[in-house]
Amino acid sequence: MSAPIIKIDGISKSFGTFKVLDGLSMQVMPREKLALIGPSGSGKTTILRILMTLERIDSGHIQIDGEQLYHIERNGQLLPADERHLARMRQKIGMVFQLFNLFPHKSVIDNVTLAPILTKGMPRAAAEKRAMELLDMVGMADKAKAMPAQLSGGQKQRVAIARALALQPRIMLFDEVTSALDPELVEEVLNVLWRLCSETDMTMLLVTHEMGFAHDFADRVLFFDRGKIVEEGKPDEIFRNPKQERTQAFLKKIIAAGHRV
Amino acid sequence: MTQWSGYFGLILQGALVTIELTLMGSVLALIMAFLAGLGRLSRFFAIRALATAYIEFFRGTSIFVQLFWAYFVLPFIGISLTPLQAGVLALGLNVGAYGAEVVRGAIQSIGREQYEACIAVNLGRWQAMRHVILPQALLVMLPTFGNNAIELLKATAVVSLISLTDLTFQAQVVRSQTGNTLVPFTTILVIYFALALIISWGVRSLERRMARGLDGVRV
Repeated sequence: MSAPIIKIDGISKSFGTFKVLDGLSMQVMPREKLALIGPSGSGKTTILRILMTLERIDSGHIQIDGEQLYHIERNGQLLPADERHLARMRQKIGMVFQLFNLFPHKSVIDNVTLAPILTKGMPRAAAEKRAMELLDMVGMADKAKAMPAQLSGGQKQRVAIARALALQPRIMLFDEVTSALDPELVEEVLNVLWRLCSETDMTMLLVTHEMGFAHDFADRVLFFDRGKIVEEGKPDEIFRNPKQERTQAFLKKIIAAGHRV
Repeated sequence: MTQWSGYFGLILQGALVTIELTLMGSVLALIMAFLAGLGRLSRFFAIRALATAYIEFFRGTSIFVQLFWAYFVLPFIGISLTPLQAGVLALGLNVGAYGAEVVRGAIQSIGREQYEACIAVNLGRWQAMRHVILPQALLVMLPTFGNNAIELLKATAVVSLISLTDLTFQAQVVRSQTGNTLVPFTTILVIYFALALIISWGVRSLERRMARGLDGVRV
């Protein structure tokens, strides 16, 4: 049994008086594909944002790949991490956002090459070659010169995925990546996720309301409610035979809303 | 009958001085606007305080007084400036203070999601500012920068008070020598207006060029 790539230890996070995460602990193994489901406000997106260092934790510890994310060990003591440490840790992690967050003033290919050139010192030619491979993989190679404003939501999201992949993260976080898309565009993005899932050995955390996809995609499903993991297990167990009342109620509501399981 | 052609040459010379002042003042104003605007957003209190003090001081006192200070008071502490230097300094610092608030506001108008995207692709603070935030913010700044440049152009008229031979100064020369006010002051009115038009056309075409490809994204 190898060591977990993500180890979350009793983290809490509040926004004002609202406690989003309450002493949460969880572990993720390398290559594992995880689906995080639950009602909105349950804290699942916050976990991704914390792992991407977009939010800070109030207490607790996180280890990525055996190293503290928010702390530096010095003389046996854990001190708060500085920007330099965070930047080094971020190299292991990539994130795709619900609203794509492409750079609107840069062409598709420049969106993908910007970070590798700036943060990894990659020569432009090499970065562009790699970007074209990635764009090809997400089916966007023919739009390499287009500006984001000329793309559909699904196309933007596929570019955003290529942009995150360009940095070769070991862990990819997907935050409701299909929630902002028109229904007919969801499929093209899910297909890309599906390819990543089967063709790469990245660890993937997926926050989603696409229960059908979560079922097929995930090795393990975590059901969140009120900042805690209420239930976890294999997709079949969670979706076909949930044990907790809250999980049952949530899935019932989702199915009533017309989502396929 | 007055020999208008000679006087017209005088006014054209004045126009050149006004253009020179406007260009040099705008360059200084632009530099100050970015320095102080970015300074206002600094992580460090001392830099924020310095930038705020500069902005409040130069917005809060009259450009007329600032100019007299630069030209007549600075020599007492050993800094003697030519009228042109004093004019550029006063105009640049004054308009730069207004510009700084434009820079700050434009940077802050860029949505949080752009900053988050920068963190997610691991850009450093300065890299994010330089490659993602500023290029987008520049487009927001441009129209107001155009306004500021026109304000600066019109403010150049005050330098005639420290004997710099700009448009307004020359018009006064012509007026005192010919006794005619209508012709010289109508002429410079038209010239100021034409210069302002050139600035606003220039800024607008710059805006169009920079906005290319962004349609439908930005406001």
